[in-house]
Amino acid sequence: MSLLTPLFLLGALGVALPVVFHLIRRTTRERTPFSSLMFLLPTPPRITRRSRLEHIFLLLLRCLALCLLAVGFARPFVKQPVSAPPASAAASRFVLLVDTSASMRRANLWPEAQKRAEAILGKTRPADQAAVFAFDRQLKPLVSFEEWNAAPSGDRVALAMGKLARHPPGWSATRLGDALISAAEALAETAGKTPTPRGRIILITDLQEGSHLEPLQGYEWPKGIELSVERLNSKRTSNAALQLMTDSDEAGAKGDANVRVRVSNAADSRRDQFQVGWARPGGGSFAGQPIAIYVPAGQSRIVTLPAPSSAEPVDRIILTGDEEEFDNTVFATPPETARLTVLYLGSDSEKDSRQPLYFLRRAFQETRRQVVQVLAHPPGGPLVDTEVRSATLFIITDPLPDQPLKTIREQLVGGKTAFVMLKTDALGPTLARLLELDRVSLEEAQRNGYAMLADIDFRHPLFAPFADPRFSDFTRIHFWKYRRLDPASIPSARVVAKFDSGAPALLEVPVGKGRLLVLTSGWQPDNSQLALSTKFVPLLYSMLEGSGAPAPAPTQYYIGDTIPLAPVPGAGPSTLALRLPDGSQMGLASAETNSSQTTMPGIYTVVSAQTSRRFAVNLDPTESRTAPLSPDELERLGAPLARQVPTTAREADRRHRLQNTELESRQKLWRWFVVMTLAVLLFETWLAGRTGRKPAALTGGATL
Amino acid sequence: MTAPALNSGLSATALIDPQALMTIRNLELRARVVVEGFWNGIHRSPYHGFSVEFTEYRQYTPDDDPRYLDWRVFARSDRYFIKKFEDETNLRCYLLADTSRSMAYGSVGYTKAQYAATLAATLAYFLHLQGDAVGLLTFDEQIREYLPARHRAGHLRQLMLALEQPAAGQATDLGVPLQRLAELVRKRGLVVLLSDFLAPIPRLELDLAALAACGHEVVVFQILDPAESSFSFENPSLFEDVESGRKIFIDPAAARKEYLRRLETHCAGLRAACDRLGAACYRLETTRPLELALFDILRQRMQRRRKARHAMRYGRSHA
Repeated sequence: MSLLTPLFLLGALGVALPVVFHLIRRTTRERTPFSSLMFLLPTPPRITRRSRLEHIFLLLLRCLALCLLAVGFARPFVKQPVSAPPASAAASRFVLLVDTSASMRRANLWPEAQKRAEAILGKTRPADQAAVFAFDRQLKPLVSFEEWNAAPSGDRVALAMGKLARHPPGWSATRLGDALISAAEALAETAGKTPTPRGRIILITDLQEGSHLEPLQGYEWPKGIELSVERLNSKRTSNAALQLMTDSDEAGAKGDANVRVRVSNAADSRRDQFQVGWARPGGGSFAGQPIAIYVPAGQSRIVTLPAPSSAEPVDRIILTGDEEEFDNTVFATPPETARLTVLYLGSDSEKDSRQPLYFLRRAFQETRRQVVQVLAHPPGGPLVDTEVRSATLFIITDPLPDQPLKTIREQLVGGKTAFVMLKTDALGPTLARLLELDRVSLEEAQRNGYAMLADIDFRHPLFAPFADPRFSDFTRIHFWKYRRLDPASIPSARVVAKFDSGAPALLEVPVGKGRLLVLTSGWQPDNSQLALSTKFVPLLYSMLEGSGAPAPAPTQYYIGDTIPLAPVPGAGPSTLALRLPDGSQMGLASAETNSSQTTMPGIYTVVSAQTSRRFAVNLDPTESRTAPLSPDELERLGAPLARQVPTTAREADRRHRLQNTELESRQKLWRWFVVMTLAVLLFETWLAGRTGRKPAALTGGATL
Repeated sequence: MTAPALNSGLSATALIDPQALMTIRNLELRARVVVEGFWNGIHRSPYHGFSVEFTEYRQYTPDDDPRYLDWRVFARSDRYFIKKFEDETNLRCYLLADTSRSMAYGSVGYTKAQYAATLAATLAYFLHLQGDAVGLLTFDEQIREYLPARHRAGHLRQLMLALEQPAAGQATDLGVPLQRLAELVRKRGLVVLLSDFLAPIPRLELDLAALAACGHEVVVFQILDPAESSFSFENPSLFEDVESGRKIFIDPAAARKEYLRRLETHCAGLRAACDRLGAACYRLETTRPLELALFDILRQRMQRRRKARHAMRYGRSHA
C-alpha cells in the first residue's frame, strides 16, 4: 500500500501528545487564592495515581482512531502495475518540421533548433519512420520517409542533420499554417500505405506571433495525427522592427519624396530609445544625422525621413539601438515615374465640354509613378514619327485620311492598341480601312429614350476590374445615342459589351499583334453619360494597361514575392538578367515573365540591354512580430497537441504522481479508513460510558 | 437577665443560618434580625437590662451617703442598711473590625469581612437598644474609620455605613489601631476585637497588653473561614496569598496535616495570650450562627461580673 500524501501521517504523532503532556505535568495552571500562606509549606507535586495512565484500553482506542484518521488523510492506495502506453511499444512515425524563417536567425535559436532536432532524431529506434521538413514561406522536404527508410539506421541522423545544416534560416516569412497542413497531409498520405496508423508532427519553432496560422482555421486536421511543439526561446527579448510604409500615388505628386518608416517595438522589449536614418550601401553607419525616437514597448511610431540628397548614394534605412539585428534594415529605391503617351486623333477642342477630348484630358491625372500625356492631333494633320512610336494608345474619334490610317494600321499590327469611338456613323469607312475590310455596316440607331449596357463580359481584361458585384452595375449610365454596328461584318470581332437592345456596344478586334477597340457610342454628354460616370476613368486605365502600359510598380517587394519582369520598356525579353543584392547576376530565360528569386533583402536590378530597373526587396514585416505564441493557440485552431513525452526526471516524477492520484481517486480507500475511525470512536464512546458508570455504581452501592 | 435562661433558651432550631442571613443586603436589617431572633430565643423580656444591678447590703457607717439608705429595711428592722449597686450604668463599647485583605477571603458565599461586619452591627444594635454607647474603629495596617462611642439618634446609622465599607487594606497590623484607641479612649470600656488574627502572636500579645493595661475589658473574636479551619481543598494548585501576592505550589493532601497543626498552634497561642491578658477569646467560623456569638459575649460578661463579684466578696471577707 502506498500513500499519496504521506505527510499527513505526521498527524498520527498527535496521539503521543496527550500522553506526554499527562506524564510530564508537574505544575498546574490552576490558582487558588487563600487568605494567608503563613501556615503552609511548599510541597513538591506527588506522583499520584493521576499521573499514571488509567484506562489503557480506552487510550489505545483513541490513539487507534487518531492513527486511522491520519492514514485516511494520507490517501492510501494500492499500487497496480501501469500498462505502458501502446504507442511506446509500436514503431512511431513522425515528421520533424523545422522552422527556417528569418526570425530563426535570432541569437541562439538556430543552434538550439539543431540541438533539439538531433536529440529527437537520436531517440528514434530502427523501426521508427521519420521525415525531416524545413519551412519558411514554403515547405522544403529535406528527408522523406523513403530516404529515411532507405538509409542505414546508423546513418539516418547524420543524413538528416547534414541536410538540415545545409538549410540554415533564410530571410523568408513564416507560413506555419501552410507548413503544418502540408506536413499533416504528407503524413496522412503515407499513413494510408503503412500499417502504423498514427503519426506525429514534431515542430521545432520559435512560434512567433507573425507565424500566419490563419490557414489552419478552415482546415480539418487528419485524425490520428498529433502535433508536439518544441518551442525555442530567444535569450534576448528586445526586438524593434523597421517597416517601409507604402506611399500613396498622391503623396508624391508635388515632388515630395519623403520616406516614411514605421518603427515597432515588441511587447516584451526592454529598450525604447532608437535611432533611424539613411545608410550607405554595405555600410552599417548612418549617412547623415539619424533621427532619435522613443518607442515604448508594444507600441509603434511612424517616422518621416527626408528624401536623401542625390549626392549621397544611400539605398537603405537602418535602425540602431535594438538587440536583434535581423529586421533592422529596410531597402528603399526612389520611385520611377513611367511616362505614357496617348495619341488622340480628333478635331474637337479640349476646352469644349461637350466634346470627348475635354474629358480625356481630365481623366489622366499626373501621379508620382505614372504620367500620362495626351497628345491631340487633328485628323488631317501629319503625324510625328516619334510620337507615334512612343504612343501606347491611339484614340480615334473622327474620320482619318489615308496616311494616318496607314501609320496607325502599322502600329496596330506591331502590337499596339487603338480605340475607335463611333460618335457618328461617318466613321464607318475609317473603321473598315483600319480593319482592311470593304465596308462595315454602320447606321445610327433609332431609339426612344435611352439605352443601357446590358450584357458585359466581365472576364474580358477591360471589364475585369468591375467584376465584383459592388462595381458591376453599369445600368446607371444612359446612352442617348449609339450606332448600330453589325458584328457579322467584322469576322474576328468579339463583342465585349452589348446594349439592352442587343446591339453591340464595345467590340474588340484583333489586328496583327495588336487590337482594336470599338465603342459604338460616344462618352461625351450628347451621346451618353459615360464620361460623367465613375466607371469612366477606371475604364480608361484598364484600356491603357491592356495596351501594354506597365502597372505602377509597388514601393517594395517582400522576400519570396514574385517580381514581374516583362514590361521593361524597350527591352527584349531575351536580354534580361537579374542582379542580386550580393552582386551576383543571373540570366533569365526568354519566356520568363516573373522571377521569384528574391531570397535575400536588398536592391535587385533587372538589367536589359538598354535599360535597367531597380527594386527593393525587404523582410516581411510580420516576421518582426517575434513575441512568442502559446502552443495552446495551435490547439485552439484544431491541431491536437500531443502530450509531452517526459524527458526529464521531474516530468517523469510528475507523471508518476498523476498516475498515483488517478489510482487513489479510483480506489478511494480513505473512505474505509474514515468508516473504521467512526467505528472505533463509537466503540470507544460505548466503552468510556460503561467505564464511567462503573465507579458511579460502586459509589452508589457504598452509600446504600 | 440570667445565664441559665440564656443557655436553656437558645435551641438549635431557633438559630438563623448565616448563609440565609447574608442574603439580606442591608446590614442594619441583618443586625436587627439577629438581635430580635436572639430575644425571641431566650423567651424573656429584653427590656429589663442588667444595668443598676443590686449587689449587697451593708450596715450604715457614718460618712455614708444617706441617699442609699434602704428605708424599707429600716422600717422592718429599725436598723440602717446601705444598699449597694454595681457601677456600670453607662457601658462604652468599642468595636474594632479588621478590614485587611485577608478578611476578604471567603469560601461559603460571603467573606470573613462581611461576617465580621454583620457581627459588629449585631453587637452595635444590641448595645444601642440597651442604651449603651457604641464606637467603631475599622483598620487594616492603619485606621480606616473611627466613630467615637456615643448613644444618640443617627449614630447607629453612621456606624452601619462605616461597617459597609469594603475591605481595602493589605496587611493586618493591630499595633497602630490599638495604640490609637488607647490614646483616644480614656474612659474604660468594652473593646471587642473582630479579626482573623493571622499575624504573629508575640506582636499581637504586645498590642493587646497595651489595651488591657488601660483597664478595658477586651473580647477577642477570631473569625475564620471553614476552608481555613479544615483546609478542605482537594486539587493541587498554586496557592496565592491574597495579602502579599506570594504564590506557592501546594498539594492539599500533603500539606493539610501540617497546616492544621500549625493553625491549631497559632490559635492556641492566641488563646493563651488572651488568657494571660484577661481577655476573652472566641473562635468563630463564618458558618456559625451570629446569635451564638452574641450569646458568647453576654455569657462572657456574666461570667466576668460573677467573677468580679465573687472576688470582691471573698476578697473582702478574707480581708
